[in-house]
Amino acid sequence: MPLNLEAKRKKTAISLTPLIDVVFILLLFFMLTSSFVAWRVVDTPLSAPSTDQATPPVEQVKFTFVLKQNDGFVWLDQQRIGLQDGEFFRDLIQQNSEALFILDAEAGVNLQSLLTLADQLKLQGAKTVSIANAFKEHGAAHNP
Amino acid sequence: MNIDQKFIAQRDAQTDDGVIPLINVVFLMLIFFMVAGQIQKSDPIKITPPESINETRAQTEPNALILVGLDGRFYLGDEAITLTDIAPRLNALFEAAPDKQSFWVQVKADGDLSIDQLSPVFTQIRQSGLTKVSVATQLSRN
Repeated sequence: MPLNLEAKRKKTAISLTPLIDVVFILLLFFMLTSSFVAWRVVDTPLSAPSTDQATPPVEQVKFTFVLKQNDGFVWLDQQRIGLQDGEFFRDLIQQNSEALFILDAEAGVNLQSLLTLADQLKLQGAKTVSIANAFKEHGAAHNP
Repeated sequence: MNIDQKFIAQRDAQTDDGVIPLINVVFLMLIFFMVAGQIQKSDPIKITPPESINETRAQTEPNALILVGLDGRFYLGDEAITLTDIAPRLNALFEAAPDKQSFWVQVKADGDLSIDQLSPVFTQIRQSGLTKVSVATQLSRN
């Protein structure tokens, strides 16, 4: 007597093709709509916090970094410093841990350079970095 | 007759067998994209944010979103806007906001955009009297 294998096969009645169609459409939808860019935010408060706190306006040590070009260098008091020169920034910040670090940029400097400098300062332990100062228009009065 | 049926049954069976690994892979990909990706509204212009080591994520959705393209065009949300309209529009948004304490503005600008193209936007925000401003970045890969 021959084996009757066909009968068992016929029990898998659900065809897979429509399922695959639907799954492919879902896959395409999720592939096209999903984004993997994780946006982060850097706070750039535009004015100093209100002065109604108990702390008197202590004369704070200030360092103004000026970016002149997108060449990976920054100027501090006529001194040219590489943005990747971690040792310089670490020494400066360790000696002046309470200082205010102000960023400034000349025309043509891009946002990436500015944020790279801010990153380096924060990475080496600077507590207060004023990024928003760089966004002051050059027609306006600068008070570094 | 019998041969025909057998042939058809075999053919169908083979098709299904070959397709199952494909479905496995497709299902895996589907689950990956569903879980790992996030669906969000796309920006009206393509912006490559500057890279930064900063890891802070926004706690709330920004109340106002200003986009600055590389070509110097400005968008408030989805809508193209001129530079001088930014301050009045921000004021209107601020007046309409239910929670004024936590009102904040996000500026999405391209990393290659120069600062002097961006500073007029900040001047406008300053004119509208808002102080809580954040610049959008993406986590640097290295």
